[in-house]
Amino acid sequence: MALLRTRKGRRLAVLLLCLVGLGSAAGLALLAFRDNLVFFVTPGDLAEAPPPAGRMLRLGGLVEAGSVARDRRDGKPVARFRVTDGRAALDVEFAGILPDLFREGQGVVALGTLRPDGSFLASEVLAKHDETYMPPEVAAALKKAGHWQPESAPAPPAAGWNTLTPRKSGG
Amino acid sequence: MTHLPYIAASYGLAVLIGAGFAVDAWLRVGRARRRLDAIDPRRTRGRDAG
Amino acid sequence: MLRAVDTIPIPMPAGGRSLHRFANPGRFLRISGRVLPFLAIPALVLTVVGLAWGLLVAPPDYQQGDAVRIIYIHVPSAWLASGGYLSLAICAALSLVWRHPLADLAAVEIGPVGAAFTALCLATGSLWGKPMWGAWWVWDARLTSVLVLFFLYLGHIALVRAFDDPVRGYRAGAILALAGVVNLPVIKFSVDWWNTLHQPATLSLTGAPSMHVSMLWPLLVCIAGFSLGFAAIVTARLRAAVMERRIRGLLLAQAQTV
Repeated sequence: MALLRTRKGRRLAVLLLCLVGLGSAAGLALLAFRDNLVFFVTPGDLAEAPPPAGRMLRLGGLVEAGSVARDRRDGKPVARFRVTDGRAALDVEFAGILPDLFREGQGVVALGTLRPDGSFLASEVLAKHDETYMPPEVAAALKKAGHWQPESAPAPPAAGWNTLTPRKSGG
Repeated sequence: MTHLPYIAASYGLAVLIGAGFAVDAWLRVGRARRRLDAIDPRRTRGRDAG
Repeated sequence: MLRAVDTIPIPMPAGGRSLHRFANPGRFLRISGRVLPFLAIPALVLTVVGLAWGLLVAPPDYQQGDAVRIIYIHVPSAWLASGGYLSLAICAALSLVWRHPLADLAAVEIGPVGAAFTALCLATGSLWGKPMWGAWWVWDARLTSVLVLFFLYLGHIALVRAFDDPVRGYRAGAILALAGVVNLPVIKFSVDWWNTLHQPATLSLTGAPSMHVSMLWPLLVCIAGFSLGFAAIVTARLRAAVMERRIRGLLLAQAQTV
């Protein structure tokens, strides 16, 4: 091989070989630890493989539309809602302050345990943001036109709105 | 403006890091140039010539 | 105006190949001195315009409110964290395979700048995460892999300075830099391969960006400004490093003749 005739070529070959080896090693390691690299499990995952009782886990999914109930217990806010991944849904109870992004239709990740009755008791709730960035006027225009209900569906395809300029109303 | 403390901290950090590195690089180049001016024989000759 | 140091005539090896054209310190100082203003001035203008646009002109987000303005710093610094590491790895390859003398100096100078932008990316991510997610930090695959990138930068910074013989430090640093390249695809695809709290990419080469143009433009201006700024800072540091090496050489020569 012409590549191996010069010192430079040999160094390059060794370098590429090392990178391929290292890359495969890293790939295999990531594959082996795949389950541990997952930040959360979904209600569907739990239905398929129930966890041992009392094990702390992170539950992720969308807050089901119309399922949020808020009240207060001993002066602390308590929220109840259902988290769904489309395959299964779980009742979640959380005592504490919900993050700003929490709303119906929003992705959330809740840390807690599965109770014997099949509901989920969360000690921490994080809101998961999607990759959509939209000014309020555009969101309002899409909702008004009936293209989108944020409580029950993700944002429509970006090409449909990312250059949209809604006319200012009341001007 | 909502979340003002978080936004202010972010922009503050960005300006601090950007300006910090820029000023440091500027000063370092100037310092190196002055030292080289003082000790480099070829450098002095070059200046006399041009 | 040409500075005297830029005109030092140093003979070139006959038939200098394209890669080694810039290895000649005198030529590097001359060319980089001419290029630097064309990096630094647009960098300053674009960054100031981009940040002011993002902070004052761009609309808030329908969900995040004004906290979305943090992305005008977070996304460019995340891009530079990865892009800077890639440039570090390219310098490492140039050093190990082609023994390019400027690549070693460049790697030493890229390290701290890349580490600083990675720290900025982590800090602004945290400042966004607290009000939006409800947590300063989570151990998901994206955040963890970027933290690993930060430690790779710190390791490189320490390693290249850890040897009495600088050449051994350059070699060790180059090997570390190349080994760490595995982390770059992990960072990029972590949000697609695993469930993460971090959202998937908004900008892609193939699809429409899921971001309104009124936010996209200032973001692109910031990315351009930050990138040029990174290039300008590294170029200036490299110029200083080349001159400092010449100073050391001259002092050594003087000491030996006395």
